[in-house]
Amino acid sequence: MVRVRVMAALLALALPLAALTGGCGRPESTSSESGDREAVAQIGSTTMLPLAGRWQKAFNRKQPEVDISVSGGGSGTGIRALIAGTAEIANSSRDIKQKEIAQAREAGVTLVEHVVAYDGIAVIVHPSNPLHEISVEQLSDIFSGRVTSWADLGATRMGDTQVISRDSASGTYEAFKELVVTMGGQDKTRDYAAAVLKQASNQAVLALVARTKSGIGYVGLGYLDESVKVLPVIPLDGGEAVAPTVENVASGDYSVSRALYCYTNGEPRGATKAYLDWIEGPEGQAIVEELGFVPVK
Amino acid sequence: MNTGARRVREWLIERAIQAAGAMAIVFVLAIFAFLLRDALPVFRETTVRDLATGRTWLPTAEPPKLGLLPLLLGSLYVTIGALLISVPLGVACAAFISEVAPRWMRETLKPAVEVLATIPSVVFGFLGLLLVGPWLAELLDLDVPLFAGLGSLMLAFMAMPMIVSLSEDAIRAVPMTLRQNSLALGATQWQTIWRVVLPAGRSGIIAAVLLGMGRAIGETMTVLMVTGNAAVIPLGLPGFLRPVRTMTATIAAEMGETAYNTPHYHALFAIGLLLFIITFAANTIADVVVRRSGRTTR
Repeated sequence: MVRVRVMAALLALALPLAALTGGCGRPESTSSESGDREAVAQIGSTTMLPLAGRWQKAFNRKQPEVDISVSGGGSGTGIRALIAGTAEIANSSRDIKQKEIAQAREAGVTLVEHVVAYDGIAVIVHPSNPLHEISVEQLSDIFSGRVTSWADLGATRMGDTQVISRDSASGTYEAFKELVVTMGGQDKTRDYAAAVLKQASNQAVLALVARTKSGIGYVGLGYLDESVKVLPVIPLDGGEAVAPTVENVASGDYSVSRALYCYTNGEPRGATKAYLDWIEGPEGQAIVEELGFVPVK
Repeated sequence: MNTGARRVREWLIERAIQAAGAMAIVFVLAIFAFLLRDALPVFRETTVRDLATGRTWLPTAEPPKLGLLPLLLGSLYVTIGALLISVPLGVACAAFISEVAPRWMRETLKPAVEVLATIPSVVFGFLGLLLVGPWLAELLDLDVPLFAGLGSLMLAFMAMPMIVSLSEDAIRAVPMTLRQNSLALGATQWQTIWRVVLPAGRSGIIAAVLLGMGRAIGETMTVLMVTGNAAVIPLGLPGFLRPVRTMTATIAAEMGETAYNTPHYHALFAIGLLLFIITFAANTIADVVVRRSGRTTR
């Protein structure tokens, strides 16, 4: 019993300690030059991780004097690292948030945006699903929980919809919310329903939809395979359903698509500039296409 | 070497050991302080009551909805389910190992159970995700192969080694004279185990269960992989067959993308603080139970 009281006293001691550590500052911006070699750290979006990995390898073969390091963690992590000065390039699969712009300004960082690729988000269902197409409005109703039965969508004997999403750490989650759930911002009160299942990666969503008869989910174009059925999407302004293909994303006909960004602190210089120019050039864009994303232009 | 130098050396060694011991307490305090520092700002946005009773967890909505109730209940469902499976099995296993099994079997069984503790949690996640989940979904005719009960089952396997090992120690510590008296009075071996040995070792067994609970509620990787992560409030027994979202899985899944110093960021630290308090309480209670029993048997 005495020991419990001692513990309580120790915990009380921890409170002022908390106030003390609160005063710690954020790390100062670090210089990217180290001797003759130049280092470029690229951090952020997990959607862009395979892309960044291939860019790094290919660029290193051309210019071995530049040290490029690539890591994931998510779009928010990358932008945080850029603001803290621990990264030269932040990968983001979503638009930057107002809050992040404000934090950057506070830290004296000017965020410059570079569009490096486009990505289509495909809507997928179990191969046994009888639907052939779906509209953005219907998708919004399903993902926001207004429609919970396949019968309401014209598919009988399918039971309740099992809605499968990426978790909120994902840029794809934000992009799909913006493009589909809020119907491109038409109804900002709409959000994902609480009953939506959250998966940590594109592969996990794909695998779960493939194993769930009444499932519906979304994945990046580059991840599609034969295990699921892809539903063409009718855009908000009506018309024909459009299949998520590289051509349709490039032409802008497929509505559930987004840009992938690299952010830098100010206009890029030195090795960072050389690297970004190369990414936006033919060699970098060839890798974009190879991995199932859509090149810029 | 003269005695003076030896005394100084002794003193230095003693202080060094003391400092090492104190480090453990400093670390716990520092972790607690760190959690407090980043969790407390959440109350600029919301109140304790709204956090504890809010039924919706939608941290990226505008304004964010930060109800922890579905996450807390999700964690409790998975943990209680795990204990319902692992406690009877674990205690029975411990009783068998220490009371019934012959010496050679005991010497094989106990290390074998302890090996179970060395399997990484991500491996249990894989097993649940690819093997046990689809199989159970088929058997029970479930829509989704990821659900609370699957998490419970996987966690039960992970908590079991701790429960078996500590319960076995507690049962073995029961004085031999108690068993001999019971058997001399004509009780069968089963009656002796059930009515004499287990009650006599109960405080150690309760401590084992509480530590197992601490293990289960704090486990992250496995539940993230097998429980589906839907932040719905589980209801009644069917709740075990539906997806839930636990507190640990929420932190693991969302920390990476949260913008720094937002209400969402602080809410995740508040969840961490809540987890810290729950496991701390479980460990403290286990400690008190063991101490009290030490007094009564003497």
